Amino acid sequence: MIHFKKVTKIFHPKTVALKDVNLHIKPKEFISIVGQSGAGKSTLIKLLTASEKPDKGQIILGGWEITDIKEREVPILRRQIGVVYQDFKLLPKKTVFENVAFAMEVCGVSNRRINQVIPQVLKIVGLKEKADRYPHQLSGGEIQRAAIARALIHRPKILLADEPTGNLDSLNTKDIIDLLLKINEFGTTVVLVTHNKDVVNRIKKRVIVLDSGQIISDQEEGRYLL
Amino acid sequence: MFTSSLRVIKFAWQDFFRNFWLSFVTLTILVLALFLVNLLIIFNVVANNAIGSIEDKVDINVYFKSEISEEQVQNVQRYLESLMQVKEVNYVSKDQALANFQEKHKDEPKILESLAEIDKNPLGASLIVKAKTTNDYPVILENLSDTQYDNLIESKDFEDYRQVIERITGITKRVNTAVIIIALIFTLISILIIFNAIRMAIYTHREEIVAMKLVGATNWFVRAPFLLQGVIFGIISIILTIMIVYPLLGFIQPYVNLLLENNFNLIFYFNAHFVLIFGLELLGAIIINLLSSYWAVDRYLRV
Repeated sequence: MIHFKKVTKIFHPKTVALKDVNLHIKPKEFISIVGQSGAGKSTLIKLLTASEKPDKGQIILGGWEITDIKEREVPILRRQIGVVYQDFKLLPKKTVFENVAFAMEVCGVSNRRINQVIPQVLKIVGLKEKADRYPHQLSGGEIQRAAIARALIHRPKILLADEPTGNLDSLNTKDIIDLLLKINEFGTTVVLVTHNKDVVNRIKKRVIVLDSGQIISDQEEGRYLL
Repeated sequence: MFTSSLRVIKFAWQDFFRNFWLSFVTLTILVLALFLVNLLIIFNVVANNAIGSIEDKVDINVYFKSEISEEQVQNVQRYLESLMQVKEVNYVSKDQALANFQEKHKDEPKILESLAEIDKNPLGASLIVKAKTTNDYPVILENLSDTQYDNLIESKDFEDYRQVIERITGITKRVNTAVIIIALIFTLISILIIFNAIRMAIYTHREEIVAMKLVGATNWFVRAPFLLQGVIFGIISIILTIMIVYPLLGFIQPYVNLLLENNFNLIFYFNAHFVLIFGLELLGAIIINLLSSYWAVDRYLRV
């Protein structure tokens, strides 16, 4: 599903974010990427969303080589992967429904289809009753659920979650991780980037540890080692 | 494409109203900038009219020798009227000249007595020449001197006026230069104010722009509502400016009447040039809004 072949990313002048990273993530896998700040976790997500391009190596995503992806192809790539961020990145002046709808509207999906699909997705994340609320009227956990609903709206094969529980309390953290596991059970590959030791140890899935831009550990049913 | 365009329109309107205070502040700044431009137009129009009304009072008299016949004078009049620098020529006959002289000196019996002693009209006919601009007087007189008519002429009073005309021409030039400089400064200030207002408005949306890009919006889909909003801002601000400028014109008209004696009406002037003045301002505002929106959004699209 995701292939990193000897990927190096350097932020000028000489900060090495990733160095010769080789990584293969299989379809329907749930993988946690852990590491200290500056280890290269977020860079990995940025490379997968084409916010950054690698300096060396090759990145293949679902058979599509995105190493040198063209500017006009970036939106197409982003519509095929779901991404959830620590700071949610919801549109503050749009309701939950409108935020999720926006991800469909950018693709030119009809209003009829939007009105049909969104209630289903909001039901999955438990926000059906709060569709008309604005982000500032929701709790942290609810905002992140809305962000997950938006990420799921295209039924993506890959869901990237960049510190999705970073701004949440332990109760909401558990809810969000359970939701991600449920999404994974439905067949979506989930890449979870996190700092949270308890979360990683509870999931009992594959864990990759990054340190100074290099993979220092890759274990099935791994634990938080740092 | 049609669905996307409709959505762009919807987003532009939605954002305009949902960010009401930001829209209000941006509009206020735009209106202030446009108001500044209109103040300059009012100043320019009044200044030009003031100069024009002074220039209007300037003319030159060409006095003919007393023995010159009316027909010869009329030949000169036709010649002068054929010159492109000449606005109008008025003929003052010998009799009219005498009547004018008597009227002018009616309280000076000694002068009138001496005139009576001469027993015949000593005054010659004259032509009162008005040029299109004060710069044209020397040219007209030069033309007249180069013709066969020169020996019919007793005197021209241009020399008496030369200093006045030169001063008026000097003032006109200085006022025009000042107006151009002020116009450039005002325009530059207005452009900078509008540019900055739009940039600030879009700066507050920077995180939204990033979020839109990350869910797969194309640059066009993100940019278009902001561009459309730039057009909406332009249209609303010009309407508000018109609503402010007209009462202002009514308010300052009495002061303009005190300054100018030619019954110049600012409201009539703005009505007559409505499309030109506000059309150009609207076009200018929209172009500046579009360019500033385009550049401001562009910064945050590189995600």
